[in-house]
Amino acid sequence: MRPLTDMAPTRRALLSATMFVLPLLAAGPAAAATNPAESFVNDNIQKGLDILRDKKLNTVQRRDQFETLLLGLVDVRRIALFTLGQYRRSAPPEDIEAFVNAFKNYAAAAYQSYFSKYTNQTLKVTGSTQRTPTDFIVQTLLVDPSTSQPPAEVDFRVRTDTGKPVLVDVAYQGIWLSLEQRDQFVAFLGQNNGNVRTLIAHLSELAVNLGKPT
Amino acid sequence: MAKLKGLVVGLCGLVLAGCATTPPSAEALAANDPYEQTNREMLRLNGKIDRYFVIPTVGLYFLVLPEGGRRGVHNFLGNLALPTIFVNDMLQGEVSRAGKSMWRLVLNSTIGIAGFWDPAAKIGIPGHGEDFGQTLAVWGVEEGPYLVLPFFGPSNPRDATGLAVDTAIDPTNQIHIKQHLWWAGAREYFTLLDLRSQTYQTVQGIQRNSVDYYSSLRNFYRQFRNEQIRNGRKQALDLPDF
Repeated sequence: MRPLTDMAPTRRALLSATMFVLPLLAAGPAAAATNPAESFVNDNIQKGLDILRDKKLNTVQRRDQFETLLLGLVDVRRIALFTLGQYRRSAPPEDIEAFVNAFKNYAAAAYQSYFSKYTNQTLKVTGSTQRTPTDFIVQTLLVDPSTSQPPAEVDFRVRTDTGKPVLVDVAYQGIWLSLEQRDQFVAFLGQNNGNVRTLIAHLSELAVNLGKPT
Repeated sequence: MAKLKGLVVGLCGLVLAGCATTPPSAEALAANDPYEQTNREMLRLNGKIDRYFVIPTVGLYFLVLPEGGRRGVHNFLGNLALPTIFVNDMLQGEVSRAGKSMWRLVLNSTIGIAGFWDPAAKIGIPGHGEDFGQTLAVWGVEEGPYLVLPFFGPSNPRDATGLAVDTAIDPTNQIHIKQHLWWAGAREYFTLLDLRSQTYQTVQGIQRNSVDYYSSLRNFYRQFRNEQIRNGRKQALDLPDF
């Protein structure tokens, strides 16, 4: 049995710890508050997954609703221009505009194709990294309750420099989609004398094929 | 098997040396892919092997073995790779990960019955991959130009060297038994079946979505390898500006 005098420092320590911990606990909700990029991802990406798994919608309704949501969240123009690489500088302005439109249709079809694989899963925001004051990487986990497999890591790149948060890229297990698209498009243009119209035709064809059931 | 892999890598070198007379395009040089034309030919060859030989046997594999059995094969092959993973963990100075690899090897080889089950994952020691190509990267060796190896697919001189070294240090390749060739052949074959059965839908998705499948695969491979080298640690600052 320890004498009471030995217990006193322990009790004091406990009291001090409580005094420090209680304010922290009270401040819990404020500390857990997310930045605008995290809130943006948390609120909207799950909506997209919900649309894709909604069995009440037919194929056309699902595609249209997903496309509307996606185009409201994604800065398609910025991504399209990025994926053109060095050809952005040499292509005529009218070709650039036509490319942005073709890319919009292609991106909607491609994103739907990617995300339709994960409709049974739920998205959990785990944190974010701020690259610049207006450039965030939001880390999330796609959790599939039906499997014991570890959740997939999906990162979203969000820019806030236009006044509202917009999505500019997504990475699945560390592989960024826009970087991959830029490599493809630049290689394709390199093989076709930098002709953006050829790429537009190819993208339009792909968008139609992606819309067809597999 | 080690000699066979060495021979394949050597043949690749010869093929590439033979093609070195064709000047690479500016885009190919910019993409660090001076052997692009040869690589594209090699990808076509691998595609034919995949289409006419691998995929039909993957179909058969799915028919014959139920999901539980396929998972057992996957676990068993993963367990065989653990000594090599452990060595590479140590060579990279990843002592904690090396400890995990060792625990996985001990638990899964015994309680997990030769590795067919994965009790280590159930108690919170999940598996991870590591190879000598990654070790070289951690030591500061540059990847070199992009290569597509016959049978093995996307690679580069650093990863091809890693592949040869991993084969050489694999303990199962040191056992000089009469049936070694059969053992090694069967292991490689099942590794291929396991890999392809897991990546079938992903590869099909890439083919379907791609404007240029070759450069898409090249980019996926590079990003995937970089992610493996970083062991999943994020490097958000390395991304290009939009």
